[in-house]
Amino acid sequence: MATQIVMDHTGDTRHHFDANDREAVARAEERFRKLTGAGFTAAVRTATGDAALTRSFDPTAEETLFFPRLIGG
Amino acid sequence: MIALPYLRSLCIAARQFGAHLVEWIHKVQGARERYQARFDTRQARGLKLLREWLSPEQRTEFDAKGYFDVVGCDSGKRYRIHHGATTNVHEIGDNGLPLVGWCFLPEGPLVAGDVMLAQKIALETYEYSALAVANRFPTEFSRRDLPLNFAPT
Repeated sequence: MATQIVMDHTGDTRHHFDANDREAVARAEERFRKLTGAGFTAAVRTATGDAALTRSFDPTAEETLFFPRLIGG
Repeated sequence: MIALPYLRSLCIAARQFGAHLVEWIHKVQGARERYQARFDTRQARGLKLLREWLSPEQRTEFDAKGYFDVVGCDSGKRYRIHHGATTNVHEIGDNGLPLVGWCFLPEGPLVAGDVMLAQKIALETYEYSALAVANRFPTEFSRRDLPLNFAPT
């Protein structure tokens, strides 16, 4: 199962989907587009465990993390 | 003589008011405790997510010291991310001491764990863009006196 993790006021919300389920993948891709379109940054973990930014939906990514755009504090 | 019934009524009313007041205070206390429990849960979820994404070295450092270091992808500079959500990022000099603070965070009401994770990923993957939106601050303005909770979740 792949997971999309979206940071929010609850801590995070997790959306799990089966990468072999075409409908679920389509919904996940739509979610990716909506979030990145709204200014969220998407990051995945590489094989070495490092974080890497991703600008396109990757259905094979085990975990994709989304966080809101950065602002100065 | 005439005042006695009124006095009795007044006593009854005062007693009823007191009972209502106590009931109201209990309701407020209950709501406050429920809010605190939800807040604690959110904080714990944020810290759990952060720990999942930290490298083993960063996780060890965070659990032991309440901060972890990251290396900026563009400059190679070292930054120290302290537990917190604002004024918690310090650029570290070659002597190991904080040089300057950088204040930036993701938009919206996020818990500290989420904020620290976003700061880590930003510095490790798009350092200069992140710092472009950040505000600099002298390190002595940092609020390191906030209550901390580093317990693994």
